[in-house]
Amino acid sequence: MIPLIVAFPLAAAFLTSILPALRRERFSKHLFLIGMLSPWLILPQIINNLPSNEVVGNWSRVSGIEVAVDAYNIPFIVAELILSAFVALYVWGYYPRKIENKAYVLILLLHSGLLGAFISRDLFNYYIYMEIASVASFALVGISKEKGARRAAFKYTVFSLLASYIFILGIGIIYLKTGYLNLALIKENLEMSREINVALALSFTSLLLKSGIFPLHFWLPDAHSKADAPVSALLSGLVVKAPAYGMILLTLTFPINTSMQKTLLTLAFLSMFFGIAMAILQKNSERLLAYHTVSQMGYVLLGISLLNPLAAAYYALAHSLFKGGLFLSVGSLAEHYGTRDLEKLSYRNNKSLMLAIVLLSLAIGGVSPFIGAFGKAMLIENLKGFLKYAFYAGGIGTLVSFTKLNYYLSKRGEKIEIPRRKEAISLSLGILTLLGGIYLYPHLSVFKDSISLVIAIFIFYLLRKLGVFEVSFKAFTPEQFKTLGKEINAYMVLFTAVLLLFLFNFL
Amino acid sequence: MINPELAGIIIILIGLYGLMTKENLIKIVLSINVVSIGLVLFFIGTGYIEGGDVPIMPREKVVDPLPATLMLTTLVVDVAITSLALALILKMRREEE
Repeated sequence: MIPLIVAFPLAAAFLTSILPALRRERFSKHLFLIGMLSPWLILPQIINNLPSNEVVGNWSRVSGIEVAVDAYNIPFIVAELILSAFVALYVWGYYPRKIENKAYVLILLLHSGLLGAFISRDLFNYYIYMEIASVASFALVGISKEKGARRAAFKYTVFSLLASYIFILGIGIIYLKTGYLNLALIKENLEMSREINVALALSFTSLLLKSGIFPLHFWLPDAHSKADAPVSALLSGLVVKAPAYGMILLTLTFPINTSMQKTLLTLAFLSMFFGIAMAILQKNSERLLAYHTVSQMGYVLLGISLLNPLAAAYYALAHSLFKGGLFLSVGSLAEHYGTRDLEKLSYRNNKSLMLAIVLLSLAIGGVSPFIGAFGKAMLIENLKGFLKYAFYAGGIGTLVSFTKLNYYLSKRGEKIEIPRRKEAISLSLGILTLLGGIYLYPHLSVFKDSISLVIAIFIFYLLRKLGVFEVSFKAFTPEQFKTLGKEINAYMVLFTAVLLLFLFNFL
Repeated sequence: MINPELAGIIIILIGLYGLMTKENLIKIVLSINVVSIGLVLFFIGTGYIEGGDVPIMPREKVVDPLPATLMLTTLVVDVAITSLALALILKMRREEE
């Protein structure tokens, strides 16, 4: 039953891609929607039989490929299905006729690749599906209308691909030492050795790059901000979650020593604060949201480094919903104004988008009873002392940045017409973050939340008075490098340095 | 004696050197290909058993066929990505002009 969840979209992708050859291109829209929504038919049965696992084709575990659905990956699957359904409705008729069919095929491949990665319990199979999703997303960034999208896509391709190769090298070492690729069998036959530690260092570094954690985030703000709005929503909401799921699989299978855990914890906090600091300095709406992805992935990594995979999984679910919703709603505004400059955008004339963005901003800030509060409550259980305050500071920083977003958007702007469908999609995602939060974690902490909101608004006005938002920050933008080649060289040195750091840390 | 696994890792490092020093975008794509070739060699090496035969018909002692089949999949990914990267370079050139 479980493999069907991937088989339907994959079959739809194939059929959609041959439609132009059959001169039936006009049906690609319908086939696309069927492919995107068909996994929903199987979901109830999967949820009823939780947890379940099976080996595809009823082979024995040693010779087959195992797939499973349990408490750790059901949040990922649900997040994938919800967000991709909304994006499918958004994309319907979005692309111009000339590239419509190809865009649909790519999105279907992205969809099936992600689902395949999320159900997989076999290292190589996981890699293959993650790669299907990544390749589709490189191409989807590349077809964007935005100037500079090709450059961003090339950078994304090179780094993501190198990370994949390093990851397979790690898998190869694990296979060499244990003789299995199936995670359950690896766990049974595991004997820790230096070689396994090297393999873990290699795979963790590459998965960190793919999930956009500081300092390996350099490709993310470009790729996520240059893509079209629905593609950005998919990239930020879902594609970066697949490597995070890989890290969860690794922590569930291999024992992680404390020095490693500390390194991951440090990176998680650095990522949180770096993302927020950079987001506050941005004037481009999409870039602001992209830097928040760096910061929010820090929260997911925090759950992984605290060896609390459930918290990481639920935070990933929460992040998919609100970040996907934010990219769709702010992206619709940006598209209809024809600019991504925050100072020119406004939601004043558009009540439902305004409501959607405010709801989603509260959700990303972790205000209860939104879904973000649930993830944060799970994460904070394992934190002690100073780290707990740092965690609260991170939440307030996020609220400061979103106060800024809402402040700029609430200024008066020209009147524009935004199609009803786009408004409805953004608003329903906003409401979903509220309902999901109430369903999963029905707690209301009015005092704490109002204190953090007041502090956040106060800090925002302080920063505005100090003129921080007027600063134009040239560093960390593609323009500081002369050529794309130089930029890639510089970041490649950084990647190698982090790789060496991890190797020393693990040995 | 140098074994194929070690040779594979050395080739991967050569590719990484290329990625860190070469500015030309085509050379960057080629360096990525060098990394992938090193990886293929590493994997083929992991499946090799001293004196093993081809694993086609049941024999007494055969090499492990699994790494080789895995590498076929990786090579397919590699071909797809190389063409995509080259297409992106062409598009970028056209945008600059």
